[in-house]
Amino acid sequence: MRTTTGTKADAVSSILFIGPALLIYGLFTLFPALDTLRLSATDATGLNSQANFVGLANFGALAADATVGRVLLQTAQWLVLHVVLAGGAGLAFAVAIASLARTHVFFRTAFFLPHVVSLAVVGVIWAKIYDPYFGLLNGALDAFGLGMLKLGWLSDPALVIFSVNVASSWQGFGIYMLLFVAGLQNIDNSLYEAAEIDGAGVWQRFRHVTIPGLREVMTFVVSLALINGLKGFATIWVMTQGGPFYRSELLTTYIVKLAFQFQEQGRAAALCVVLCALAMAITVAFNRWRESLR
Amino acid sequence: MLKFMTAARAAASGLLAAAMVLFLAEAAAAQTLRMWGPEQLNDPEIAKLWNEIKADFEKRNPGVTVQYMQPTGTISNGAVQAAIQSDAGPDVLLTNSGIGRVGVVANAKLVQPLGAAYEKRGWKDRLHPWLYAELKRQFDGEIYEFPDGLDVIGLWYHKDVMTQKGWQVPQTYAQLLALFDEARKAGLQPLVVGPRNNASGGHLFGNLMQVTAGRDKVGEVVAGKRPWTDPAIVASAQRVIDLVERGALAKDMVALDLDAAARLFFTKRAAFMFAGPWFTSNARRAGYDLDKAGFMPLPVDPGQGESLPTGGVGWSWMVSAKSKQTDLALRWIDYIVSQEVMVKRATHASNWMVFPQALPGLQPSTPILKTIFDSANKGVGYNPSVYIPGNVVEAYLQAITGLVGGQVNAKDAMAGIQVQAERAARP
Amino acid sequence: MSARRVREWPLAAGLSVPLFFVLAPFVWLLLSSLKSEMEIAVAAPFSMPDRLLFENYLDAWNIGGFGELVVNSLVNVALVVGLTLAVCAPAGYAFAKMQVPGGEAIFYVVLLGLTVPIQAIVIPLYKVLSALGLLNTLAGISLAQVGNGIPFGIFMMRSFFRGIPDELIEAAKIDGAGHATILLRILLPVAKPAILALVVISALSTWNDFFLPLVVLISPESQTLPLGLVRFASTYSTEHRLVFSGTVVSFLPVVVLYMLTQRRFTEGLTQGALKG
Repeated sequence: MRTTTGTKADAVSSILFIGPALLIYGLFTLFPALDTLRLSATDATGLNSQANFVGLANFGALAADATVGRVLLQTAQWLVLHVVLAGGAGLAFAVAIASLARTHVFFRTAFFLPHVVSLAVVGVIWAKIYDPYFGLLNGALDAFGLGMLKLGWLSDPALVIFSVNVASSWQGFGIYMLLFVAGLQNIDNSLYEAAEIDGAGVWQRFRHVTIPGLREVMTFVVSLALINGLKGFATIWVMTQGGPFYRSELLTTYIVKLAFQFQEQGRAAALCVVLCALAMAITVAFNRWRESLR
Repeated sequence: MLKFMTAARAAASGLLAAAMVLFLAEAAAAQTLRMWGPEQLNDPEIAKLWNEIKADFEKRNPGVTVQYMQPTGTISNGAVQAAIQSDAGPDVLLTNSGIGRVGVVANAKLVQPLGAAYEKRGWKDRLHPWLYAELKRQFDGEIYEFPDGLDVIGLWYHKDVMTQKGWQVPQTYAQLLALFDEARKAGLQPLVVGPRNNASGGHLFGNLMQVTAGRDKVGEVVAGKRPWTDPAIVASAQRVIDLVERGALAKDMVALDLDAAARLFFTKRAAFMFAGPWFTSNARRAGYDLDKAGFMPLPVDPGQGESLPTGGVGWSWMVSAKSKQTDLALRWIDYIVSQEVMVKRATHASNWMVFPQALPGLQPSTPILKTIFDSANKGVGYNPSVYIPGNVVEAYLQAITGLVGGQVNAKDAMAGIQVQAERAARP
Repeated sequence: MSARRVREWPLAAGLSVPLFFVLAPFVWLLLSSLKSEMEIAVAAPFSMPDRLLFENYLDAWNIGGFGELVVNSLVNVALVVGLTLAVCAPAGYAFAKMQVPGGEAIFYVVLLGLTVPIQAIVIPLYKVLSALGLLNTLAGISLAQVGNGIPFGIFMMRSFFRGIPDELIEAAKIDGAGHATILLRILLPVAKPAILALVVISALSTWNDFFLPLVVLISPESQTLPLGLVRFASTYSTEHRLVFSGTVVSFLPVVVLYMLTQRRFTEGLTQGALKG
């Protein structure tokens, strides 16, 4: 009965294998997501209010909302910063500790520690670090005689996204670092030896052996970082509430404000749809681009 | 020995109580009243007060157990709505109010109308008459809350610093500005504000609006009857910019929240800060000597009437529409608004509230509170944050950070609030 | 390993500098958690506490009701981790090694979930939980969190199982083993590192989850640790010494979990996320 080509048997048991996961996923993620799609075409306000069908009116209202344009731009900045800062720190530390032997595990563990702190707590801690009068950062700059580098980390409109992103990336880079460490372990050591025999220096080895060897993991890390970046919420929410004067407002924070503070559920849902569509488009586009490079 | 006696007595009374509960359980079915609040229950002083209140109420209502639910949020962030909608929600709530917030839960039919209770249960007489009139006005005659406390916001200063520097308490806005300059020369931050993630920016701006435009115009603006782009309101926004340019406020204060701003004030690095009676609680925690604290309304421009603090209903009681024991919830409010409980709370060491009814002969726990209570007796102006809808609050607070941070001019900032006010006015 | 020609100690010394900056917030947090409220309110950031107030921890524990919160959080994590593994391992296996009708399409629908932020679905999700009578229960929050974690879990397990040679499975089939037997007896033992990685990732995100519990867990007796920290903050004032000590209490267990599993965990990431 059980043969290698038992397609029918496979079909039956595959339902048993996949069913429970699909049921939970469907009920608690997919269905709510579809319901959000439905809400985006209504004028729903509160949790239990009557809602009328309004077609694409919510999307029209979003297009006319000046804040939305700004929010999209800032979300893009946030996204790029997250990939560069968190992904970059992950790569740099991974490469650095990969060539360590005895202290490798120590550094790997220590550098990962920020990742165990919840983002809301990260926000509380870093807001205090950035405090212009009593903060750790400006205090440290003063102590090292670098007073001229003191900046309005959270008050300067040109700087605020960067500052909060650093806090968020501090929490986020650990997992990317571990992924890169894992990727580096898979690179065949003989490639480095061959490169060395050819007279390649440290940089050339990095450029011609490490980077190509990390191709797979890099794709994965960037995809993950793009998704995480787009979902960025807690640090902004705790540290700036989107301020000063909307300069750190992101898609997610604006959605929550629309839904809970503005009581405009329909419009919030429409923006959710935009966010999900963007997430999908970015992920797909990035992977297409990666494939095209092969 | 004494210890043993106490223990024995406690055990005996415990047994007695248990027996009584058992006995009474026959008569009245055991009921649990779930109450959302109070805040700061982690403060031992406050916990002691509320546990006494709970015990007393339970004694008077045999078979009833009161259960406090520590709030995880407010109406503004949806926590209250989520709690009411669940089956495990509270019967009665004590939460941040103001017409903007109450409107959200009242329109969603999450809280019960209480107008009838005001008439039948005599709640009407338990409020300052002007406050009752204000509440009656807000929802076309229906009322959904019973105010627990009023906010009274004015300028806090250090009496000792004033004496030491030989400064006089300013009587006019111009004198205040001159004092700001003095403070700056003396190496102090003249005025501090913490608008980063809370209403502190609103406290500053509400007072500036009142002294510039006058109390009545502000009332019209927050009620949506006068635009935010009114020249008088734009002029008050310009005053924020002027304060920054004068060096009275610093641009980087945009990065401060209320705690960080308070820290500058309590360490006497800043001379003035706008705050309410609740600031006494922050002061206690920071070890600031409240005897040295001064409070005054922001002085008005000549011809604008009397200088008043701003404020409004800060906290209110509401009854959940999902509650299955409305009568018990109303009985709880009856108890809370009674003269006896009000006085007990008002005289308690932890108290910082301005109560919604006149409490004759009340001796507040600190002199500064007496000053604040007295200034409220003359009535309070409008703190816009608690009078305007959620989306307008958001635009309002963002505009203030924009003004302090120099990101927007007065006219555009007010125009931004007006856009939201019009959006809220649409049905 | 890449070019282990760099000398160990100079590099380690060099790396200590960024490490110091990365860990400085922890040092500051630990110090602050031992200060009095007054010291936190007025003192300069670098000052040492006058006296180490370990009672902050006791207070956070007692006043914040942390005993109950910790138990709830542990139950929550156990439920999420257990259920995630129980449903993602077979599903991952099926997507990797079985002929699933419409498999690829279903898989992409599942992957879609990776891109959906929780803020986008919280209100409908609240209604679903309400309709099922699961609001304010640990079972409810756990199911919702599992639902959100399934896309990543399946993705990871599928990648891992795809890396396992078909021959192994074919050989087992010839020996008469069914899919369940293959999964339980042959693949799961090999999959230990990937499973550990999934355990740590889902435990971490559950333990630290704030947004969903805030909306779903209403009454104090059902709440988890991150919500407990909120109890120390009120409208106009926050008890920082308790927030800080409570924060340390809340992340110590995860630090320990990570330290205990980190070697295997890294291996699992290699095999789970990257191959396939």
